[in-house]
This record gives sequence, structure tokens and C-alpha cells, in this order.
Amino acid sequence: MSETPTPPFAAPTMTLPEALQRANAHWQAGQAAQAEQLCQRILASLPGQPDALHLLGLMAHAYGHADRAIQYLREACASPTAAPIYWSNLAEMCRQQGRLREGEEAARKAVALDPTLSGAWNNLGILLQEMGQYDESRICLEKVHAGDPQNPRVLNNLANTCLRQGDGETAERYWQEAIACDPEYPQPYSNLAKRLTDRGEYAQALEYGRQAITRDPHLTEAYINLAAAEQERGDTGAALRWLNALLSFAPSHAGGLATRAHLLLKQERLEEALSDAQKAVIQAPESADAHYALGLVQQALNQGEAALAAFEQAVDLPGTKAEDAAIAAAVLHMEQGRKAEADAAFLEIAERFPQSVSAWYNWADIHRFRPEDPQIARMEALLADPARLPKEQMRLHFALGKAWLDAGDPEKAFAHFAIGNRQKRETFQYDPEETSRWTRNICQTLTHERIQALWNQGYTQAEDQPGQPVFVVGMPRSGTTLVERILAAHSAVTGAGELSALQQVLATAHYPESLQTASAETLRALGKAYLEKTGKLNPKTRYLVDKMPANFFYAGLIPLILPQAKIIWVRRDPVDTGLSCYTKLFSGEQSFSYQLDEMGHFARNAQTLLEHWQQVIPASHFMVVDYEAIVEDFDTQVRRMLEFLGLDWEDTCADFHNTPGNVRTASVNQVREPLYRRAVGRWKPYAEYLQPLLQALEQNHAVDAD
Amino acid sequence: MASGKVSTRRAVPELLAHGQALIAAGLPEAVDTLLQPYLQGGTAPIPLWKLKMIAARRQGRLEEAVAIQKMIVDTVPGDLPAHYDLAELLLASGDFERGWREYRYRYDLAHTKILTRHIQKPRWNGQPIPGKTLFIHDEQGFGDTFQFLRLVERAAERCAGPVLLEVNAEAYPFACRAYPHLTVSKRGQLPPAFDFHAELMSLPASLGLRLEDLPGSIPYLQADPERGRHWEKRLNTLLGAQRPRVALVWAGRPTHPNDAHRSMSLQDFAPLAATGIPFVGLQKGPAAQQRAPKGLKVLRLDEEIQSFEDTAAILEQMDVLISVDSSPIHLAGALGRPAWVLLPFEAEWRWMAQREDTPWYPTHRLYRQERRGDWTVPVARIVADLNALATRSNGSDNRR
Repeated sequence: MSETPTPPFAAPTMTLPEALQRANAHWQAGQAAQAEQLCQRILASLPGQPDALHLLGLMAHAYGHADRAIQYLREACASPTAAPIYWSNLAEMCRQQGRLREGEEAARKAVALDPTLSGAWNNLGILLQEMGQYDESRICLEKVHAGDPQNPRVLNNLANTCLRQGDGETAERYWQEAIACDPEYPQPYSNLAKRLTDRGEYAQALEYGRQAITRDPHLTEAYINLAAAEQERGDTGAALRWLNALLSFAPSHAGGLATRAHLLLKQERLEEALSDAQKAVIQAPESADAHYALGLVQQALNQGEAALAAFEQAVDLPGTKAEDAAIAAAVLHMEQGRKAEADAAFLEIAERFPQSVSAWYNWADIHRFRPEDPQIARMEALLADPARLPKEQMRLHFALGKAWLDAGDPEKAFAHFAIGNRQKRETFQYDPEETSRWTRNICQTLTHERIQALWNQGYTQAEDQPGQPVFVVGMPRSGTTLVERILAAHSAVTGAGELSALQQVLATAHYPESLQTASAETLRALGKAYLEKTGKLNPKTRYLVDKMPANFFYAGLIPLILPQAKIIWVRRDPVDTGLSCYTKLFSGEQSFSYQLDEMGHFARNAQTLLEHWQQVIPASHFMVVDYEAIVEDFDTQVRRMLEFLGLDWEDTCADFHNTPGNVRTASVNQVREPLYRRAVGRWKPYAEYLQPLLQALEQNHAVDAD
Repeated sequence: MASGKVSTRRAVPELLAHGQALIAAGLPEAVDTLLQPYLQGGTAPIPLWKLKMIAARRQGRLEEAVAIQKMIVDTVPGDLPAHYDLAELLLASGDFERGWREYRYRYDLAHTKILTRHIQKPRWNGQPIPGKTLFIHDEQGFGDTFQFLRLVERAAERCAGPVLLEVNAEAYPFACRAYPHLTVSKRGQLPPAFDFHAELMSLPASLGLRLEDLPGSIPYLQADPERGRHWEKRLNTLLGAQRPRVALVWAGRPTHPNDAHRSMSLQDFAPLAATGIPFVGLQKGPAAQQRAPKGLKVLRLDEEIQSFEDTAAILEQMDVLISVDSSPIHLAGALGRPAWVLLPFEAEWRWMAQREDTPWYPTHRLYRQERRGDWTVPVARIVADLNALATRSNGSDNRR
């Protein structure tokens, strides 16, 4: 092609201002090659010429060479004649690379040199926002907004800061204004998606997120916000698909990797979660989100010290994760039995982040409230704030319920529990009849004859191989955590916590229908798949305890796929269990436990299954232990369980609450205390608040009597 | 119950390699068979769907290809090349609205990223910008520029401000004649200052171009009158009273990604010898030297053609241009001169699907391959139409 680019510096008489003007004009018109040649010629005769360096930096930035761009701008700014806007541009480039401190310094330099430079105030405003300094950020951005009220970018930045300040309504208004100013500008759609997720309006949030991606398919935050909306409405699979879509075009995106690590962690895919979190930290060593994600994964992997270090690093780094990371560190202290450290940490958090619902919610669990406790009033005040999001209200209701129960005012306590449970129950669909049908189906399929027919065909591992499976099952809050801790205090036993491994293995297995025809090969494959999953936890002891309570639905299947497995069902007074469930907001899915009548219905099904299993599973593989009996006669019950496992008595079992190790369930604080009797028959003083549960349980007896 | 079936299944990379080899070997039907067991459930890895889309497109199943590609874009919206593939499919099927919208991803392909022009002014989206200067610049091949120059007038009306037009040096004189009221510059020169910019091929999206808006006013380009006088004399000397006057182009630019499919060999035109017509060879480049098949008379002008200015002036003297899918087709169409276009089985989006005419150029007729790689059928149809044209031309000559 016969193009004839104008030769740069064509006229030997061209002055420096002329050459610079021409270079700029070429760049404005997208003629980078000519612009660059001119800049290089200027620099050849005038090394360090700041305007040429600045222009080269802008071009490198546009072509995606971030590090080179920053280097050019640093050199340009090193000159005493550097224009204020060079500092401002350096600030923004640093921000985009996560170099927040250098960015802040450059932005401050820019506004000091020229206080009328609105672009510099804007850049400083968003830097401060990312660093968590919201009040000053807002001042900067309001200043820019006042001079340029129709600028969608400024409106969007300002809205982000308002949100972080807790002023969600103003934020929403600014985002909507930004959209009105430029309907094609994608960012406000993405931010609204996040806001609507927080408000629990998931369908609308997803719509806004998609609008953002339609306008800019590479808008990374939009993918993360869509994943959050899917996750919050309970579709982890869809959430992962958004993150995979993000990472497929941006494989080293630290935010995407950190978020995916969270989701994989929820699915107990610990190795993948660890790999993502580690990659995130390598990609963005200054990202608090990345360290926070890594800490959570390490916590799940029982790497307490490493997790604590990661959380502490996240607390120290600039950014918006300090609050979550500080809470995570406090919770870790709590899990590892360091109650004093946990208490102190929570107190500190409550001072530093007085608006933090999450801190109060977690703290309420370990704190014992007195009748006149001033902390109760602080929580009530938080709850009364009209800006509180529904999710936060729910958590505060549970925390306040716990507090008033401690303080001896059950009327106030149950009023809070009633609202909290109702709010939670409204967030999902649940049909108790489904559980009844499944229960009947299981009992009719796994009959004594069927179990005999399939007996001894599953997957056996060598006797001397560590990690033989022990399943501790039962109703949630019936003492399964207690039993796991007692057993784990024995030198031959490791507690693995609540694993979803069995549910994952059976996800596509069509349980129980398929057992009518299952082959030995199938049974072996399932057993092997389970052991492969638990093998990744690298157990060193003879036994590994999986205490996922809901595995009681599979108790009859377990010995068929794993002939060496042992199952212990922990039984407890269903009303005490129900009361305990009702006062807890579970982190996992316990759909039956947020409405008292549904809880009673579920407990009846559990009872039906227990009675069935007692008849069809040989006593060599299945035992029942009563929570109340453990409390009443600890040694006898512990010996029973150890005998069942073929283990000798060890004194450490009696001293289980001093055993180090993590407790990762809702029972975390109870098992840290020596056995306490007040939990037996605990419900009786509260009977008037538990009527629907009592009625539902009673119907059971009526039906049985027929 | 368990997953016993997995063992008989093949890994995705292996399947992909197999499928791509089949596509390369021209066996898209075999790809359908290969993928059938993996796709029948409706869920499969995206790369397998992409392969399926290519197989469907290769076999002319445009509707199916569009549906698959829409699904791919919905699932992995960050895959920008997938957006571009969708744009081509939609434009081919006549869905201009979404098609032109997705066409904006043309600079997000592995080999086009580097061609992105980073202009430091906002892109014009079709809104009125009175008092502001709009800079319209051309982009890709010569053919694209000739095809889309027709939209500059509408853009100038819509923006309601001064317009700067920048085109490649070959198209420059045509743009100057077509738009004497605009400031026109050559690519590579420093243009005057401006406020907004638009790529020439973003104009359809910005203007909301609909299929029914085509072709617009034809002709929209003119040949240089002086060149015209020169070529009129020269061709009269060469051809005398010979009618019809037919020009011939048998190959496109060899660096075009689809050149192997779109370009022909002069030997493919052997059946044209039977018409007895002497053909005016406009072929440039290395293909210009190809040997003519026995009996086919080709008057080669490649050494006399210095630029598209010559090509245009020659086309003005021709009854018809017979050509593969290359830039002279677009020049002829813009000049309002007839052309018969030989298209490969899987033609570019701009020729749409199946139809024998094109909404872009009312003077043109399309001759499509009916089987991949087989030019005999379209060439035979051209021979028949040439004979008919010769009869008509000579008939009118007789009456004269």
C-alpha cells in the first residue's frame, strides 16, 4: 500500500513546541507510530524531556504495556517542569495496577501543584475510595461533581464512595443519574447489580449485571457481581460459570481467582480453592482480597497459623477487606479455642468498625450477655438504622435473640428469633413433604433383604491404611460435634468436620432408586470415590470422622459401598434439638430449621429413618448414642463408642475440650466448655414459645399409634 | 448409577484435534457424526460447540450456526472473537441490528488487535453533534472502503457538523470526487483537529443501517473523466466494435485469509473459450501471469493499470465484469457497472446466503459454488449467461 507518512521532524527548523504539538496531534488522531518517532527524536536530542516521556507513557498505557507506561510517567514526573496532569495520570495508572500508595502520593502531588485540576481530584477520590478512606474520597469527588454534574464517570465514582460510606440510597440515585447521562456506559449497571444483590433483589441484580456485560464484555467486576448474585440466591453452579467465563478471558485476574477460591471452598474443593487463592496472591500481592481468600482456604485446610498470618496481612493492606479479615482472624481464635484472644479481637473490631453487623453477629455467639449489658443496646441501635440491609437485619435478630436469652428475657429473645427465622425462611423454597416422600422411598428400597443381597460387595481398603471412615450422623445440634471432638481426642482418630464428600459422590447416583438394580461394580466405584475425596485430607490416624449430620439419610447405603465404615447416630431430645436449631442461623443449608412446625416434621422423618436403620443395619456397623446419656454418664458412653471402633480407652477423651484443633460448625463455642448439663431439658422454660414444634412432634405419636 | 460410561468417551482436546482435521480436510459432515454423542445432552464444553458451529456453517446450515453461536456468546460473553463470529453469521442472515452491533468486535481478534487505532477522541454513536467536527476513517481492504463509502453522506447529514474523511491513497481520488464538500485526507497524513471519530465500518451500527436502506443512491463513485477518455480510446483500438465487452478477474489478494477458497485459476475459465469473446484481463499481482487455457482469448492490461483510477475508467467501458470476490467487484458496484460474482461455497457475510442478487449492488449477479471447491457449475452458468448476453448485444448491434 502506498501510504506516505509525514516524516517526523521533517523540517530541520522545527522547534521543540512545534514537534511536541505535532506528536500530540498524531497521537490524538491515532497515529501512534508517527507520534512515537517524534517523541524518540525529541528525547534523543533532549534526554529526560518530560512532555515527550509523558506522551510515550500514555501510548504505552493505551497499548496495554502498564509497567512501561508507569516507568515513562515516573521519569516524566521526575522533571521539575512536569505538568500537574502528569502526576494525575501517573496516579490513575498506579491505581489500575493496584499500587495504591504510590498512586495516592502522585494524586496528592497533582492537586497540590494545581488545585483546580478536576481530573486529579477525581483520581485522588477513587484512590482513597479503594484505600477505604471514604470520607475524604467523598469530599474529593463531590468537588469534581459540582464542577461537572453531568459526567457519568464522576457520578459513578461518587456513588461507589457513597455506598462504601453506608449511604446506599444516595449511591443508587447517582448510578441511575449516570445511566441517564450515558446509557451506554457500563459501570453503573455493574455496580447496581452488586447493590441489588445486597438488597436481596437477585433477579434485578442479574439483569443489571447482564446489561453491563452487553455493553462491555470485558468488564471484570460485572462477572464477579453476577457470580455474587447467583451465589446469594443459592445457585453456586451458575456463580462458578460466571467466574469461569471471566477467567477464560482474564486467566490471571486476581479478583476473579479470589472469588472463585471462595466458591470452591464452599463446595469443599479445597485443592482447587487453594490453587486459585495462591495464584491470586501471586498476581496481586498487595490485594487484601487475595490474602483474605487464601486465609479462608488455609483455615479450612487446618493450617491455622498460616491462615492467621494471611488474615493479618489482609487487615494491614489498604482496601475494603480489613473488616472481614479482622473478623475472620477473631473467628479463627474462637475456633482454635483461644477465647480470650477472640473476645479481645472482637472488642477491637467493634471499636474500629462500629457499623459492622458481621462482627457483632460473630461475637454474640461467644459473649455471655448480662441483663444490663450495654452491648445489647448497641446492637438494638444498629438494627434500628433504616439503612440496614435485610441480610444484616436477619443476623442482628439472631444475635439479639441469643443476647436476650442470655440476659434472661425470653419474650424479647423469641420475638427476635421469630423475625430472624421468618426473614431467613422467605429467602428459599422448601417443601417438607418432599423429605417425607424421600424417607418413605428409602425405607421401602433399602429393606433388610435388599441390604443382605448387596452386602460385602463395596470397596474395601487395606486394614493398615489410615483414614478408615467413621460417620457421625444425626439431627443438626444433637451433639454430633461433641461426639466428634470426644473421638478426635483419641490418638487413633482425626476429626474432619462436616464433609459434603458423600453427597458429592452420590450427586448423580439417583439414591435410593438405583439401589434396586445396583451392581457390585457400581458400589465399589462409589466407595472408592468417597475415599479418594477424604484421602485428599491426608489423614495420618486409623480413623477419619466425617460428621455431616444429614448423612443419616444414607446410613443404610454406607456399609454397602464401604464395608469397613462405622456409623454412629447421635440422638437427643427432639425439642432440645429443635430449640437449638431455631436459635441458630446456619452457614450451610438447613432448610427445615427456620419454621418450628417444619422442624418437627423433619425430626419425625429422622426418627422414622433411625428406627428403620436399627432394624436393617447390623450392629457391627451401626450404633446409637444418646446425648443425654453422655452428659449423665460420660465414661460409660465413651467406652461404648471406643469399643464399637475397636479402640482402647485414652484419658485424653475425657479431657476433649482441651484438645487442640479446629471446630468449624455452629457448635463451636459449646464444645469448648466441659460438658454442661443445662442443655438437657433446656426447652422446658420456653415451652410456650415452641408450641408449633411440640404439636408437630406430637402428631407423630398419633400417627404411630394408628 | 455410577459413571461407567466415561471410559468410552474421548478427552476434549483429542476430539477437537480430530474435528479440526476433518474440517481442514473438507469433511464437515463427519464432524456432525463425531460430535453427535457429546452434544446430544445439550451440555458440552464450549470448544465442542464452536466446532459444531463451524461444521454447520460449512454445510450452509446458517440458522443452526446462528443459534449455536448465540448460545456460545451468552455463556462466555468475554470471548470477543466469538462475538465477531456471531456478527458475520447474523449479517449473512440479514439480522443487521444485532449483526452490526456485534461487528464492533472486529479488532478483538488475535490477528486484528494490533491493528486497533487508538484515537484519543470519543467514538460517534450517530447522535447530532452540531458545531463539532466528525473524523471518519477507513479501515481494512480496498473493497470495504469502496463498499461503505456510500454511508458518508448519511453520516454527514446526521451529525450536522463538519466532517473530515480519511481513506487509503488508492481510494483518495474517488472520495474527493464523491464528497467535494468534505475535507478528505490520505491515511498516514496528519488530519486537522476533530472532536469525534468513527471507523467507516462502524457507520452501519451508528446509523442504524437496515437491510431495506440498501443500496442507497447508485452510483456513488465516479471514474476520473480524463482517465476515461484515455481508456475509451485505448479500448476502442483494442476491441473495436466487439460486443459484449467483458472484463475478467480470476484471483484476489493472495494474503486474504479466505483466498484459497475465493480465488480461482485462469484455467477454471476454460469453458468461457466457447463463447468466442475476447476478455479484458484486469488481473493484477502474481496471478496476472497465469497461462490462459487453450482457446481463451485474454487481453492482459495489468501492466497498463497503475491504480484503481485505471480500473474504474476501464469498467466504465465494459458491459460486465466477471470476477471472483475481490475489490474490483465493489468498485464496479459503486460506479453502477454490472458484475457477475463467482462465490465460494461458504461466501463472506456480505453476500448473505443462497440468494443470486445482492442488496448492496442492484447491478450485480451472484454465481455460487454448489459444492465446496467445485467451480464447474457456476462457470457453466456464466457461459450460458454470456451467450445470452452476446445474443442480446449483437441483436441490438444488428438493429443499429
